[in-house]
Amino acid sequence: MVNNPGDRVLEPYVETDNSVETRKAVSDGLLGIHNITSNRFWQFAALFGIMFIFGIVGFVWKLSLGFDDKSTWGYYVAVFAFLMTTSSAAPMVAIAPRIANSHWRRPISRAAEIWTLAGCLNLILYIPLIWLLPSLENGRRSLWFYGQQEGVPAYSPHIWATLAIVGLVLLGLSLLWLSTLPDFAVLRDQGEGWKKKWGGKLALGWRGTSAQWNWQHHRMGVVGAFYFMMLVFVHFFISVEFLMVHVPGWIDSLYPITHAHNALQAGVATVMLTMFFLRQFGGYKDYIGLDQFWGLGKLLLALSLLWFWFWFSSFNVFWYGGKPSEQAVLELLVKGPYLYLFITIFILVFILPWFTMIWNPVRRSVWGPAILATSVLIGTLLDRIRLYVASWDVAGRSMAKELEMKMQDVPTKIQTPGYEDIFIMVGFIAGSILIFMLATRLIPAVNLWEQKEMLLYKAEIQFHRTKVTVMGKSR
Amino acid sequence: MQEHTQLSHKQINEDLLKDVLTVPKWWLPAVSFLGLVVLTGLGAFFFMMYHGLGVTGLNRPVMWGVFIANFVFWIGISHAGIMISAILRLTQAEWRRPITRAAEVMTVFSLIAALHTPLMHVGRPWRVLYWIFPYDFSRGIWPNVRSPFVWDPSAVGTYLIASSLFVFVCLLPDIAILRDRAKKPIVKKIYAQMALGFRGTPRQWKLQILAGILLSALVLPVFVSVHSIVSWDFAVLIGVEGWHSTIFAPYFIIGAIHSGVSAVAMLMALSVWLYGLDKYIKPDHFDAIARLLIVVATTWFFFFFLEWVYALYTLAPPEIALRELQAFQWPYGPLFAIFIITSFVIPVPLWLFKRVRRSVVWMFWTTVLVNIGMWLERFLIVIPGLIRRTHMTFDWGTYHPSIVEILIVVETFAFVCLGMLLFAKVLPLIPLFDVKEGMVNRRLIKVGRRVIPATIREGLPHHYYEKKQ
Repeated sequence: MVNNPGDRVLEPYVETDNSVETRKAVSDGLLGIHNITSNRFWQFAALFGIMFIFGIVGFVWKLSLGFDDKSTWGYYVAVFAFLMTTSSAAPMVAIAPRIANSHWRRPISRAAEIWTLAGCLNLILYIPLIWLLPSLENGRRSLWFYGQQEGVPAYSPHIWATLAIVGLVLLGLSLLWLSTLPDFAVLRDQGEGWKKKWGGKLALGWRGTSAQWNWQHHRMGVVGAFYFMMLVFVHFFISVEFLMVHVPGWIDSLYPITHAHNALQAGVATVMLTMFFLRQFGGYKDYIGLDQFWGLGKLLLALSLLWFWFWFSSFNVFWYGGKPSEQAVLELLVKGPYLYLFITIFILVFILPWFTMIWNPVRRSVWGPAILATSVLIGTLLDRIRLYVASWDVAGRSMAKELEMKMQDVPTKIQTPGYEDIFIMVGFIAGSILIFMLATRLIPAVNLWEQKEMLLYKAEIQFHRTKVTVMGKSR
Repeated sequence: MQEHTQLSHKQINEDLLKDVLTVPKWWLPAVSFLGLVVLTGLGAFFFMMYHGLGVTGLNRPVMWGVFIANFVFWIGISHAGIMISAILRLTQAEWRRPITRAAEVMTVFSLIAALHTPLMHVGRPWRVLYWIFPYDFSRGIWPNVRSPFVWDPSAVGTYLIASSLFVFVCLLPDIAILRDRAKKPIVKKIYAQMALGFRGTPRQWKLQILAGILLSALVLPVFVSVHSIVSWDFAVLIGVEGWHSTIFAPYFIIGAIHSGVSAVAMLMALSVWLYGLDKYIKPDHFDAIARLLIVVATTWFFFFFLEWVYALYTLAPPEIALRELQAFQWPYGPLFAIFIITSFVIPVPLWLFKRVRRSVVWMFWTTVLVNIGMWLERFLIVIPGLIRRTHMTFDWGTYHPSIVEILIVVETFAFVCLGMLLFAKVLPLIPLFDVKEGMVNRRLIKVGRRVIPATIREGLPHHYYEKKQ
């Protein structure tokens, strides 16, 4: 840099490597990985497929047992909530850093968005739940001002929850399609066989004109923002209609946010683990680096700390308040039969990530974040089981008409799952993974256009005695 | 940051130390006026101390009046410093650089303002000694540590110490510059003592940066705990409808961030107008803070919505009656409407327009509105909750703040303004070293026909780590 007489400094430009050759090399490299499907991939796909068939068997079996005894449906709802907490929340890992213009998200965003396809499974699981939701006519607590306002239908929860969940899935699919448009065009132009055919159909005449790029960026921003809002509302409905209304006296205004937060935490963990597998076994080692695990690790650390804060904010107000009905709720969810399960969850979801991710070497590694993501996912599944099984157990005891729960109403033991519950749990989780795996055969798991866009903004320069990375910000 | 003026270090020193080494014309009248308001407020306080709390409007059942509302408000404002400084520092947001210092200093002064309102509220502030010594020496009766009122001073005190330390660590390089530039020997000596021998050696820089990052990370949990604990003063009680709500801790925090970040935007506008810092605080900075405010305000509004929805979800008649009192009955109804309109309905839609976000005048007035609304929010939480007639209340009246309370509340505002002005007279309100670091790290990249700003990122390029493995 050279100073001019006015003490203003003249700034030279930094050269980026955005040549046609480099861009082609990125495309060729990523398409090369995408086009190879190993035998091991098909072996695992077959394994998950078999497990998914067991899930379907469990699903039919469950339906055949009927809807009368709600206490037996806890595990089923827990699986539904777990999938909503993981696969449906994963796209947020693409949306939020994209809005914040973080470059480290580039190799991550596509895989995060593909998870939205697994949301279609949630729709299947949701259908029987419509019959299980209590209507407003039985005097249950309601968010809908039933009986206080004219024109509120008794089936408001069913209508709104259905609209929200379907809306979330549709928004997710739109986001994935918008984000994949330029890559479909690459498949159309450079792909072979069925990929070329489907790429052509789904690219909708994409040519990469300035107008098309502007349109795509703008729509992705809008759909992403709506996806986030819809995600929060879906968790609001789930936490109220599938959880709180079944436990008399459980009035926790923070819980919908806690549920949404749990989803973000589990969503980050899902994407982290996906990145690990794509890097280690998917051939993307040159594209998914430590920066991605570092960025996700920081997010997971922050979200784990928030997990504790949200939980404690609710717990403390109930515990310190000493109100009998709230003590009974604590007995049901934390201190009673689920105490040991809760301690396990506490360790897996908060203690382990916090005490390990706080160290930079753990965050900036491949194995550390992957192990901790597994811990968070197991913890989240157990947490869903704790909350939903306990709540639906109470729902099965016909206390919905009461507004307060008494200590003697609290069940003394944990409901055990039936074989059909285990089939559903294993099968539908495996089904989600299978959908993700199959989707990566059509859609490149690492974004081509975002990787090429990165070439515009990234440069390496000599800075005194070392080399440093210079990152540009488009806005 | 699209707009940027690349300046030399010499120019930065001259610009930012100008108002420290010289006295602007408006400074003395402004300081005298604010000093007078502070003295009037202190006079009102001594009057109250002499005559007792009877000179206030406090009466059964409203024993917490504007003093407590004001306390919560200032605690909220104090969250701006850490929000802007620590979080943006940890996330490496470049636009933070010129505004961190003012935000951090405002944290310290607003915390002091927050602390002295409850002290005045107790009527006999010397009794604060009982927090250190037993109530009854012979029997050794100590304050009850299980009371939320013991958690409060502990949390706020810790926050004050931590944020003061944070400000001081971030000030060290700038104090060293002042030491080297001050002409009067006595002033030079004072700055030299404060600079702790900072000479800018690589080791000193490394320690200073590490301390800054560590304090940023350590002060964040304190920041969260402070307002959580303040909220639990209310939320753990089951006797007052409207207070016993689990959402209070996050709701208070997000409200605090809303008012605090708005206060920082106000400060930025005032810095541009009073100190002519438009070369450092650009429309891009206002744009960035307005974008942040849109997110914060919308989140806050969602929390507010949930708080209300769940109040009605209880189906408890007293709770619903309280909400009616807050929202529809005189005099709280109009205040409630003003609160909603000023804190959300007017500013957020306006911030959606780029022209508003980039305008100093618009940003100043919209953020003033937010803080009017957020003060009223605290008032509407504290007073109607207590004033409602419940079956356990044996006596009731209404509540009107007296002139003594109003003077003391006004004093807190004058105190913070006075503190900021005095600080800006002895130390720079924009961190010199941080701005210089930004200039050093800055590069330009040409994308097509556009030139965009770029920044050197910490650490080696990614593949260097890969090779090492």
